[in-house]
Amino acid sequence: MRWVKRHLLPAYAFLAFCYLLLPIAVVILFSFNAPSGRYNYVWEGFTLDNWIHWDAPSGIQSAVVKSLEIGVVSTVCATVLGTLLALAIVRHRFRGRGATNMLIFLPMSTPEIVLGASLLTLFLNRQIVTGFGTIFIAHVMFIVSYVVVTVKARLIDFDRHLEEAAMDLGANEWVTFRKVTLPLLAPAILSAALLGFALSIDDFVITYFVSGPTQTFPLFVWGAARVAVPPQVNVVASAIFMVAVLVMIGNVLWGLRARRARESMPAAVPIPEALPRPEPI
Amino acid sequence: MSFLHRHKGLTPYLLLLPGILWLALFFVAPLGFLGYQSLQSGTFDTGYTFDWAFSNYWNAISDYHEQFVRSFVYAGIATILALLVSYPLVYWIAFRAGRWKNVFLILIVAPLFVTYLVRTLAWLNILADEGPVVGFLRDIHVLGPDGRLLATSVAVVAGITYNFLPFMALPVYVSLEQIDARLLEAAEDLYASKRQAFLHVTLPLSAPGIVAGTLLTFIPAAGDFINAQLLGTPRQYMVGNVIQSKFLDVLDYPSAAALSFILMALILVGLLAYARAVGTERLTG
Amino acid sequence: MSTPITRRQLVERGAAGLTLLSLPGLLAACGGSSGGGGGELADVLRFSNWPLYIDYDEKAKTHPTLDQFTAKTGIKVEYFEDINSNAEYFGKIQRPLSQGQSIDRDIIVLTDNERFLGLMIDKGWVEELDKDLIPNFTNLIDAQKSPPFDPDRKYSLPWQSGMTGIAWNEKITGPVTTVTQLFEDPKLKGKVTALNGMGDTPGLVMLDNGDDPSNVTDETWNAAVERIQSAVDSGQIRRFTGNDYAQPLSQGDLAAAIAWSGDIYQLLSSNPSLKWALPTKGGIIWTDNMIIPTGGSVPTASTYMNFVYDPKIAAQITAYVAYVPPVSGTQAVLQKSDPELAKSQLVFPSDEVLAKTHQYDSAALNNQDYIEQWQRVLGA
Repeated sequence: MRWVKRHLLPAYAFLAFCYLLLPIAVVILFSFNAPSGRYNYVWEGFTLDNWIHWDAPSGIQSAVVKSLEIGVVSTVCATVLGTLLALAIVRHRFRGRGATNMLIFLPMSTPEIVLGASLLTLFLNRQIVTGFGTIFIAHVMFIVSYVVVTVKARLIDFDRHLEEAAMDLGANEWVTFRKVTLPLLAPAILSAALLGFALSIDDFVITYFVSGPTQTFPLFVWGAARVAVPPQVNVVASAIFMVAVLVMIGNVLWGLRARRARESMPAAVPIPEALPRPEPI
Repeated sequence: MSFLHRHKGLTPYLLLLPGILWLALFFVAPLGFLGYQSLQSGTFDTGYTFDWAFSNYWNAISDYHEQFVRSFVYAGIATILALLVSYPLVYWIAFRAGRWKNVFLILIVAPLFVTYLVRTLAWLNILADEGPVVGFLRDIHVLGPDGRLLATSVAVVAGITYNFLPFMALPVYVSLEQIDARLLEAAEDLYASKRQAFLHVTLPLSAPGIVAGTLLTFIPAAGDFINAQLLGTPRQYMVGNVIQSKFLDVLDYPSAAALSFILMALILVGLLAYARAVGTERLTG
Repeated sequence: MSTPITRRQLVERGAAGLTLLSLPGLLAACGGSSGGGGGELADVLRFSNWPLYIDYDEKAKTHPTLDQFTAKTGIKVEYFEDINSNAEYFGKIQRPLSQGQSIDRDIIVLTDNERFLGLMIDKGWVEELDKDLIPNFTNLIDAQKSPPFDPDRKYSLPWQSGMTGIAWNEKITGPVTTVTQLFEDPKLKGKVTALNGMGDTPGLVMLDNGDDPSNVTDETWNAAVERIQSAVDSGQIRRFTGNDYAQPLSQGDLAAAIAWSGDIYQLLSSNPSLKWALPTKGGIIWTDNMIIPTGGSVPTASTYMNFVYDPKIAAQITAYVAYVPPVSGTQAVLQKSDPELAKSQLVFPSDEVLAKTHQYDSAALNNQDYIEQWQRVLGA
């Protein structure tokens, strides 16, 4: 009985992972399928052809390229805007701080369909033609909040002693920011950027409303789902998946290495965090 | 000296300006336009005129209250299921997985990296009438001989649960991970059983994560339309489907705008009630 | 070194400025540029069509007839398969068109049994064809010479026609020959889908009721909708579909479906047990039409239209697409190259079969009450 109890939780975890990863396995598996007809739902044989000729279905290549372009451009923009916002909120006191917090939080709590629909209404009313530009606007808008939340979390825990030490040593605010704050903030900014990029690449609902004639990859899949989804869709989805997982694993390994490097460093310079906080007098 | 040194107080405003401007232009203003459009009347052919048509709201509620209720029910069930499924999983990762924590975390987040539509379509494959899952369920008599999973509310709710599970799992994980193990040791020292330790220490301490996870799951789920469209039938259609159809098929913008506003209002009301119950700081951080 | 705060301030201002600047720039660059509307032949033809609706060489990954067009005229073709639904596509293009802006297309293809084709023409969002550049216009079959939405064929030319009937999977059920059987046979319960097109499903039901779909009245409409609604309520109809009945039908999730003729022909290669037929009481015939949206290049589009009205070219397209070609002489060409196809009733229906097909009332398609009622049936 004890054996069962002890292994119940890990067994459950294993089953839960199977459940989570089953559809992914199906997607990846069927990217290697060689369907004889239009439909890719029955396994008929292994082939690498779909991977080699991933751009065979017309429109898939331009859709993927568009998705990547929009992803990069909107992520960069949103990361910059979001980091600035996070810095302002965490480090400064100003009037309307609560309202600003609310404003940033609201897009995350609005259903995507409402965000998309309202943006479309704006564009329709102001007679702005929908396309790449409007997708860019929409993506930055909904990514910014996530960037703020991610960077803010790191900023709140940020030990300002290091910055104070740098300024005590003669650096001014800008140099301190550049050489102390930013590098320490870099992992959080990078995480935020990765999150933003992932959100942008995968976005369907908002993009659906504001894309006009432009096609991103998720929109291409939606169109294909109406008729027949070619195996190349699985190929692209699998490729994106594998790259993302590799990046995340890399991130984790890098973090592990950095930690090990720090731990193996001789403690010649006392790390401020390790110092006990002085008792208030 | 420099401009900023003299106007130190301006720094935050300058930092805020670009982001706030963007949100004001592309989040707040559109909502304003949506509200304006929701009070218009007319058709696509004849054009729209603004005439304080509050009837749009009334009609939206009376015509589609079924879909509203359904959306919230589906989202609610999916959220609870997501919590029940993910809690033991992330508990195991936080407390038992040791060095491999981050790897398992990646596995939880991994599904999010397959395009939403593609992973929903995979379920079409897995839950097919002639597929292994349905076959198995028929064999063990959970489903009748003609039973099916696709095109039922079961499939839709299952799809929603699956798609938003990582959003529940991650916040819960974060709060579980932050629990100081010494607190649990202390509980044990005070003769608490494992179950009591869990109920009185772990669970309450993981509450912030559960709150965050619930919000991150419920809100997008309530507005979803893809799962209902791909895995369900019109009898499972949610508010999102109606809004999508009115905006893009029927081209009835005022009704669509009214529906969107009602959806948002309902969610905000729920949010405020929730916030009152659990405390605002937990929400906005 | 100048004051660091100024630099920081510069960076912040620069970042903000950059994003704001890029905004209108992006919008201008990526918004609709007015196309080559006007009298000159362009170098590129921009053609939006439905998926799987033109010939395609799997091995070479090209569209042979498009290549032949380029070889003959020197005009390159940008081919987009981005029309999946008349309503959705129209929703995307109506805003720029309503402001007289071009949508960067010379030819788009819309269906005549949904209201949007008629709407485009009525609103004047189309350019007139240059018939002088389309001598092959005479190859248009008689039945298509004068449709109600474009009586003089000033703005449109058919691309392909198709028929709406009933498809079934032989392995799961015997022939499904009437709408009554489809909607009421208990053996088919929950394994049936209907098309979401307002001109398709109600049309078939009207025929089954003995009414005329080309002349819709409130009575005939209500009678049809009532029958459909009760089939939905009883669980007989699983759901409404566009093209997406094809996969479940092929897969065995469905026993039968209201379906389009050409789809079934293309499905036969992956599932030979699929059959299609017009219901005994009659079916609907519809036509996808090429039109030139505002701003499209009339001479370029007209040249292309003339090209595809050559029976030899039409034959190549039809051989792949398997819908009903509007170009007379196509059957004769195919009798030599693909006799099997030339005999197919799906692609070249006999006069007997054609007599049982009807076109749907285009005025009824625009009736706002009907539209809302239909949307309600569809569940939204």
